[in-house]
Amino acid sequence: MTQRTHAARLGMWVFLASEVLLFTVLFTVYADARARYPEVFHHEIHAHADKVLGSVNTAILLVSSTLVAAGVHALKENQRSRATALVFATVVLGLCFLGIKGHEYIDHVHHDIVPGHGIFWTLYFTMTGLHALHVCAGVVTLSLVARTKHVIVLENAALYWHLVDVIWIFLWPLFYLA
Amino acid sequence: MTAVAHAPSFVSEETTITSWVLTTDHKRIGVLYLCTLLFLLALGGAFAMAIRLEQLGPGEDIMSAHTYSRMFTLHGVTMVWLFLIPSIPSAFGNFLLPIMIGAKDVAFPRLNLASYWVFVAGASMVLASMLVGGIDTGWTFYEPYSASSPTAVPLALLGVFVVGFSTIMTGLNFIVTVHTLRAPGLGWMRMPLFVWSIYATSIIQVLATPVLGMVLVLVSLDHAFSFGIFDPARGGDPLLYQHLFWFYSHPAVYIMVLPAMGVVSEVIPTFSRKNPFSYKAIAYSSLGIAFVGFLTWGHHMFVAGMSRFDAGAFGILSMLVAVFSAIKMFNWIFTMKRGAIDPKTPLLHVFGFLFLFFFGGMTGVAVASTSLDVHWHDTAFVVAHFHFVMVGGTLTAFLAALHYWFPKMTGRLYPERLGKLGALLVFLGFLGTFVPQFLLGNAGMPRRYATYPEQFTTLQRLSTYGSWVLGGGMLLIACYLAWALVRGPRCGPNPWHSRSFEWRTPSPPPKENFVGEPDFSVENYDYTREL
Amino acid sequence: MSRSILLTGVGLIALWALSFGLSFADLGHAGLPVALAIAVVKATLVGAIFMELASASASIRFSVLAAGALAALLIGLVVADIEMRDPPPLVPPGYDAAAR
Repeated sequence: MTQRTHAARLGMWVFLASEVLLFTVLFTVYADARARYPEVFHHEIHAHADKVLGSVNTAILLVSSTLVAAGVHALKENQRSRATALVFATVVLGLCFLGIKGHEYIDHVHHDIVPGHGIFWTLYFTMTGLHALHVCAGVVTLSLVARTKHVIVLENAALYWHLVDVIWIFLWPLFYLA
Repeated sequence: MTAVAHAPSFVSEETTITSWVLTTDHKRIGVLYLCTLLFLLALGGAFAMAIRLEQLGPGEDIMSAHTYSRMFTLHGVTMVWLFLIPSIPSAFGNFLLPIMIGAKDVAFPRLNLASYWVFVAGASMVLASMLVGGIDTGWTFYEPYSASSPTAVPLALLGVFVVGFSTIMTGLNFIVTVHTLRAPGLGWMRMPLFVWSIYATSIIQVLATPVLGMVLVLVSLDHAFSFGIFDPARGGDPLLYQHLFWFYSHPAVYIMVLPAMGVVSEVIPTFSRKNPFSYKAIAYSSLGIAFVGFLTWGHHMFVAGMSRFDAGAFGILSMLVAVFSAIKMFNWIFTMKRGAIDPKTPLLHVFGFLFLFFFGGMTGVAVASTSLDVHWHDTAFVVAHFHFVMVGGTLTAFLAALHYWFPKMTGRLYPERLGKLGALLVFLGFLGTFVPQFLLGNAGMPRRYATYPEQFTTLQRLSTYGSWVLGGGMLLIACYLAWALVRGPRCGPNPWHSRSFEWRTPSPPPKENFVGEPDFSVENYDYTREL
Repeated sequence: MSRSILLTGVGLIALWALSFGLSFADLGHAGLPVALAIAVVKATLVGAIFMELASASASIRFSVLAAGALAALLIGLVVADIEMRDPPPLVPPGYDAAAR
């Protein structure tokens, strides 16, 4: 591994660590609020969260993570067109995620559920909103690097996408399941 | 004997404005940061002078209480985020880190350039908020007032958020640089101690600053869109704001002090002509401070309504930090013992540091005792404590660094006698300003109050006179350094005859940092051999 | 597609289905911890296999460890604070200390 590749990979991981701490603030606000109002959280999730849509979105991200990992592997094996196709498939799934999320938001607003109406929904919009911004950034980044020939570039973009997936893996139970 | 440089210096090799504005040379970026930081230091100092002027009399003499609130808020915000936190790492860390490890530049030079302009953007946002009246929440922005204050809270807070982003970029760059760009054969245990301190600082910066960034965004959302995240009426918890704020802001004080300790660890061996008493102890205690610094934030919240369990836990954990600082203090003192002391200006500032940081640190242990803090919390006693460590610690070390590395960066010497006078004025002025604050606070003078009872007038006046001496000293330093920049006598590459690595290249260094390959055959700090 | 990537993807979907199915069972107070535990397993799979943490350098693994430890520290001490705060001395109207 060259010095520059090691530097690029380490730099990306340091950046990811900072992103984890960024989201940790919101998870802390959630933990604090849920510890004080467990019944409110339980009620709102079961009354107003669309479990099916949320779960479909989760599956979408899990599959997309699998595809982009396969894309990186293909690039390592020098299968460039296969890698590009897999990355673009990931992008498409990311866009589907955003579409479903947008639909959910519009639906909530129609039911007069907006940020500022109690800590649960304010947290919902803030956390899934920040996550969705990261999905957008991931979609843009992956589109820009889909055709790269440098493995480390695609690897780093994929790392970002995987982090976005991991964050959603935790958002899903917190806002849809329990 | 190092090779005589025929390469042009990093200043003269290209002189267009574009070559500075778009530079990726870490030395030029360090200089850009330094100039910006000195301006912001002056601005923060101006707010301080206004505060002290108002406190000459017990009433609302030259400003209303509302204005006073803005003065101390802007003083705090400017000094903490726009000066102290970036000061030593962004100016001196940038200039010296690659040279000290024998590298040509940092790991990501373009990211480095971006970090400077992001810093300027964030600082501009904070300055813009001042132009529309500033904010009055205190530099700690506590909820719920920060969500309802009629001042430009989102603009100022998002400015700080952007500045924070810049420090994350710098920290990331430094971490990767130290891991991957050390010269061949230069192991971790041979690096200059300043590098260890910058490395530990960078770890804190990268992990703690995002927490601040996010919480400032949340307050901005509360203020601008009434999100009510910390509003109890809507299920929020105002105490949670304090947890999140101090989770960053306590490690932040170690971001401020670790680089200062790194400067001290460089200046003392040079002017004692002796190697450090224990290199490993200083290196490892830097990491120790970084680690323990994350465990103590609740000691800012002892009287806020936290659970007794947390109060107890944080009280005990806070005691641990003093252990690592004490290890360093003992090391520095024992390094000087039996050394050949040369009391040049940088060392005089370091003497000031040792004295003031010692008392600042001890009063820190005092306020970290829960039962004592019940009396001192939110009084001028705490204000005095943190000024002892931030001014007596970080600013003093910054001045030491400015003088120590002035010849390295400019190839010229500052006037030594004026340097000694400046150090004396700053030291005495500082004591005059802040010793009365300990006494005032202990007697019950609250912090952030524009008015006070008649019986505190004498001490407040003494504090203000002290601030004039301190300000005078800073002004003197600014004047003779500006003079020395253009008229100071030229010196060779190593006027201090130091053994530290950065002195083995011309002063000022060429763009590539070294002429040929760096010669690290004589060990760091080895005063038994000639270079 | 590499075998380990495919297997991990299948495993993730299987865990997803398990979590989805369990959410319909009435697990009471255990509902959230169980769901989060499954989430931890999924996140570990993504991290170890997709993000290649299993074969990463020490400095990279340390970054992850440090971030995770700090997250646990912050959330842990905040929740400990909530759980162990004394009830307020003056009772606001409508506040029922017993129900809380």
